[in-house]
Amino acid sequence: MGLFDRINLLAPLRQRLRQWFLNRLPPSDTLTLTQRNVYILPTRPGWMLGFTLMLLLVASINYQLNLGYLLTFLLAGSAVVGMHVCHSNLRGLTLHLAPPLSMHAGQAVSLEVRLANERRKPRFGIGLGVSSHRGSRDDDGLAWLDVPAQGSETVHVAWAPDRRGRHGTPALTAVTLFPLGTFRVWTIWRTAAQVIVFPAPEQQPPPLPPGEPQPGHAAASARSSNSGEFDGVRAYRRGDPQKTVVWKKAAQAFAAGRDDLVSRDTLAMQRQQLWLDHATCGAADLESRLSRLTAWLLMADEQGLDYGLRLPGKEFAPDHGAAHKLQCLEAMALC
Amino acid sequence: MAHLPREARDTLFLLTVVAWVVFMQVGHIPWWCTALTAAMLIWRARLTLRGQPLPGWAWRAGLLALTLGGTWLTHRTILGRDAGVTLIVVLLALKTLEMRARRDAFVVFFLSFFTLLTHFFYSQSLLTAIGILIALLGLLTALVNAHMPVGRAPLKQSARIAGSLALLGAPVMLVLFLLFPRMAPLWGMPSDSMTGRSGLSGQMRVGEIAKLALDDSIAMRVQFEGDPPPQNELYFRGPVFSTFDGTEWLPLRSGFTKRVALEANLSVAGEPIRYTVTLESHRHPWLLTLDASAKAPQVAGQVVQMNADLHWRTRQPTGGLLRYSAESHTSFRHGPLQAELALQDLVELPAGYNPRTFALAQALRREHGAGAENAPALVKAVIDKLRTGGYTYTLDPGIYGRDTADEFWFDRREGFCEHIASSFVILMRAMDIPARIVTGYQGGELNSVDGFWTVRQSDAHAWTEVWLEGQGWVRVDPTSAVSPGRTGSFERLLAPEGAFAGAVRTINPTLAANLRAVWEAVNNRWNQTVLNYSQGNQLSLLKNLGFDAPGWTDLAYVLISVLVAVSLAGAAWNLWERQQHDPWMRLLTRARQRLDRLGLDADEQTPPRELARLTQRHFGDTAFAQSVSLWLIRLEAQRYSRHSPLSLATLQREFQQLPWPKGNAR
Repeated sequence: MGLFDRINLLAPLRQRLRQWFLNRLPPSDTLTLTQRNVYILPTRPGWMLGFTLMLLLVASINYQLNLGYLLTFLLAGSAVVGMHVCHSNLRGLTLHLAPPLSMHAGQAVSLEVRLANERRKPRFGIGLGVSSHRGSRDDDGLAWLDVPAQGSETVHVAWAPDRRGRHGTPALTAVTLFPLGTFRVWTIWRTAAQVIVFPAPEQQPPPLPPGEPQPGHAAASARSSNSGEFDGVRAYRRGDPQKTVVWKKAAQAFAAGRDDLVSRDTLAMQRQQLWLDHATCGAADLESRLSRLTAWLLMADEQGLDYGLRLPGKEFAPDHGAAHKLQCLEAMALC
Repeated sequence: MAHLPREARDTLFLLTVVAWVVFMQVGHIPWWCTALTAAMLIWRARLTLRGQPLPGWAWRAGLLALTLGGTWLTHRTILGRDAGVTLIVVLLALKTLEMRARRDAFVVFFLSFFTLLTHFFYSQSLLTAIGILIALLGLLTALVNAHMPVGRAPLKQSARIAGSLALLGAPVMLVLFLLFPRMAPLWGMPSDSMTGRSGLSGQMRVGEIAKLALDDSIAMRVQFEGDPPPQNELYFRGPVFSTFDGTEWLPLRSGFTKRVALEANLSVAGEPIRYTVTLESHRHPWLLTLDASAKAPQVAGQVVQMNADLHWRTRQPTGGLLRYSAESHTSFRHGPLQAELALQDLVELPAGYNPRTFALAQALRREHGAGAENAPALVKAVIDKLRTGGYTYTLDPGIYGRDTADEFWFDRREGFCEHIASSFVILMRAMDIPARIVTGYQGGELNSVDGFWTVRQSDAHAWTEVWLEGQGWVRVDPTSAVSPGRTGSFERLLAPEGAFAGAVRTINPTLAANLRAVWEAVNNRWNQTVLNYSQGNQLSLLKNLGFDAPGWTDLAYVLISVLVAVSLAGAAWNLWERQQHDPWMRLLTRARQRLDRLGLDADEQTPPRELARLTQRHFGDTAFAQSVSLWLIRLEAQRYSRHSPLSLATLQREFQQLPWPKGNAR
């Protein structure tokens, strides 16, 4: 391992080996650990223990110490049992991955994994994390947990995908060093769930673009304040008719100790439609356009505005709500 | 420790274990080493309790230099066994001062094991074994605890896990211990291995055995076949000293060539006494046998030779406990019957020492007559002088000066067996009578619990042999002339005893003796079975297993076979486990089979929900059918619902508790 770290030439080969290894694992969102998918190797302290045992044995032979033999062999016996305990600490465990939620690129998300233990004994010190690219020996970023006897425990594994698009969830590693730390038992779990990663929203986006005139309506069409189509809210202005006040929000505001009123704003939206258009958003390349559009979309959604989205080859009519938002975001993710 | 944060608690626990490991070494390391180690451990504990940072490298380097210096001053070397033990103990304590990460904890762990092993250089008693076992369990507990990273794992739980590891490891230990081939030492015993142990030694300086008289530890155990000889015949012969340089007695340094050297010329009479000796480790090549043994003692794997002075020795010193069987005769005759040139070696005395003893010798010769024919009379005269001349036997005769014989005969008139024997031989030689000193053990004590005779270091004794024409070498014990109780009865000079033993003795003398007898019998059992387990025992074990002429290779063969058999059993278990590895399917099959016996005809592939439907149809609307189908649906949910709260074990338990009809319907 140390050798592989130092010799960079081997890194691509290593990566390729790893990929080959991962590809031959069947992907699944539930994995029961058996003899077949649990691996075991001595750790560095494990080798050190072997060396210690060797020295103890040589000393016992040379000084003809029968009690020395006993000590050496008892320690060796305990280490052998420890190896078995270490392996069975993972073996038989069942891992379930809950369907992950979508997220924006660069955002850390937590994959929820449930570890179910059928055994009558608890399992101690199990580390779970995203299988690292640098090699499977990096145990630093793992989440550690104990799984109670005949019960289950849920752990959240942080994962930050860096690109938008449809991603498979990363391969996960479960590790244990329990009980003696002389052996490292691990498994690599190729999960099947997919997750759509939306483009990362631009950090400081410009304000929303002005609305476009609604096709088929005259630009100066009369304001119809009682048409029943409510598209947005704004702060209460003197002179607003009482029926445009959103009383529900007002009641919430009063309860929270504020006394600001909110009116439904039907005026602007009746005449203007908010279109988020990749062609006119002002950024240069596709990624930054998508980024800006995403930021705008989130702003519009927050304000409860209707918005439409135009992408290369795709158009979504202005609308609002969670389903619309998801549809648009997915379209941008996969664009 | 309950209120401490996890890390502090773990550190303190490890420090406690290290303290225990070091504590067991306290008797074998210099006092400054004990003090330094204790100070470092206490310092480390204080730092932990106060949450202060660990000392910088300068402190550690300074302490290391101090230790190296101290070791050099104490042992005059930093290599070798005793120096090594001193160093490793301090290094262990020093390492705790930089113990931060898990890696450092591992180093402490492994150093502790070396420290534990060094303890066996000094003692392999049962008590040591118990202490080491405690240390091993403590170390394993610390290690297990370090690998339970979640929350604040209770130490009791770690201890339980460590205990079960050791318990399950014990069979492995047993198999390896029984079958691992016992090899000869890989390289010679380091020369310093003789320091710091009590026992007879290769030379005799007057006053040395007196030290042994205060040593209550066991030198050897003897088991007689049949009746033991009387107490006053129990002379266990050890090294014989024939050359005196004025201050020290040494084995014979003959001025004569091998051709004229003395022969043992042993002839024995009567029925031999057969016995088995278990000699505590003494790292000398000699074997102690009852006077006189004509046949070589049987030592497993060793060639045994007899010296001309009737003293048996092995080729190489053996490290540990040594067991051998021997045959002896109490009636025997040895040495040349007629005067030989080589006997001249045994009347040699260094010039210029003990002038008054020489004068006494002249006076005695004038009185009783010189010449070989008068030798018995001269011996008798000297014995009479010892008996009647106001000489006393004491363990504390003070320090003798240059002319030890003169001081004994004329000034102090008191001494321990070696003063008496040395003075006696000098006087004999001054009268031209060949004489020599024999050291060994005299007497012993029967342990009523297990029937072994226990010979202690305090039984160490020095007696003499005088050569008489026509009789050869004749044993003369001048000490018995001074103090008849020293030999022949149970009367002993008692060594001072510990406070506890003293307290018990004042309450109930027999209880103290009985407790001691039981404890020594247990220890003896430990010695006989564990410490004495040798290649000989291994081979006889193989013989019992059915090997005709077992050898070293058979041992390896059996060991490998056992390992292969265990591995195969493990592999078979895994295969079995893999085949049945889906406990859910197993449970469903069990349920189906049970229902099948009750008359329900269901396919092997029937899923639980369908099985539930069939059950309801078959058994109608009974409470039994209700609960079984409910259970089956829960079984299905366990497998297929996204977040089932049920565990399979709960379902298994519920399966047992279902109201199955008592008798089978079909």
